[in-house]
Amino acid sequence: MTITTGPDTDLVQAALEQVWESMLYAVAEPVPSTAGALANGLEATITVSGAWNGELRLFCDAGAASQMAATMLGAPADEEMPELDVHDAVGEILNVVGGSVKGALEGESRLGLPQVRPATSLPDPADCVAVSWRGAPVYVQIVSLPA
Amino acid sequence: MKILVADDSRVMRQIVVRTLRQAGFGHHDVVEAEDGADALAKVAAENPDLILSDWNMPNMTGIELLRALKAQGDTRPFGFVTSEGSDDMRSTAEQAGALFLIAKPFTPDSFQDALSGVLG
Repeated sequence: MTITTGPDTDLVQAALEQVWESMLYAVAEPVPSTAGALANGLEATITVSGAWNGELRLFCDAGAASQMAATMLGAPADEEMPELDVHDAVGEILNVVGGSVKGALEGESRLGLPQVRPATSLPDPADCVAVSWRGAPVYVQIVSLPA
Repeated sequence: MKILVADDSRVMRQIVVRTLRQAGFGHHDVVEAEDGADALAKVAAENPDLILSDWNMPNMTGIELLRALKAQGDTRPFGFVTSEGSDDMRSTAEQAGALFLIAKPFTPDSFQDALSGVLG
């Protein structure tokens, strides 16, 4: 059976809440209305292929990403983290979200390895699941792709 | 005892090591491997008592690592720590000889539940 519908936003939201709690020791709260647009953004991407073909794309500010990496590594919050660790941390956050999403899809699917790079364009926040990291927005976009 | 932690994410390896400590297993030695191929080499070089491996890694995946070890007749305890915890993957892991599969994100409690029978 071919499944054409992708993961819904509630599933991604629930996965993000789990990651925030167990990997970042924080509550995934809504993005405050005062949050500004992303600057110096990072984009992480992970592919899911099989019954549903698509990508999950995570966008966040590089400063927020550095703080999340510091938290995951048990480093002081204000310590500037090496880019390698920042990309690794953001990719692993999306990898865990992707694993949860893949596990909930019907049919057989494969999860790719996360890729992280500077964001070249930013999605419309209205098209994303959004959670706050210490007041800064973290967006996850679900993108269906051709098989 | 010596525990081999295989994951292509250095950040995740650190989280696994910290969670081992929080779960009461901090007195064991830990060796790290950055993918399945590195883990296979370190099993031979370091002779760990327990292997904790990610599933989805470059060069050699966790399930390929497990099957390679079993093909060598290796009987040491092997468990997955992976973001993918579907029933299908648990079944595949079990059939290949894994003792357990801990799904990310995890807690110290999930490590205690899975490892207390192995590490005591």
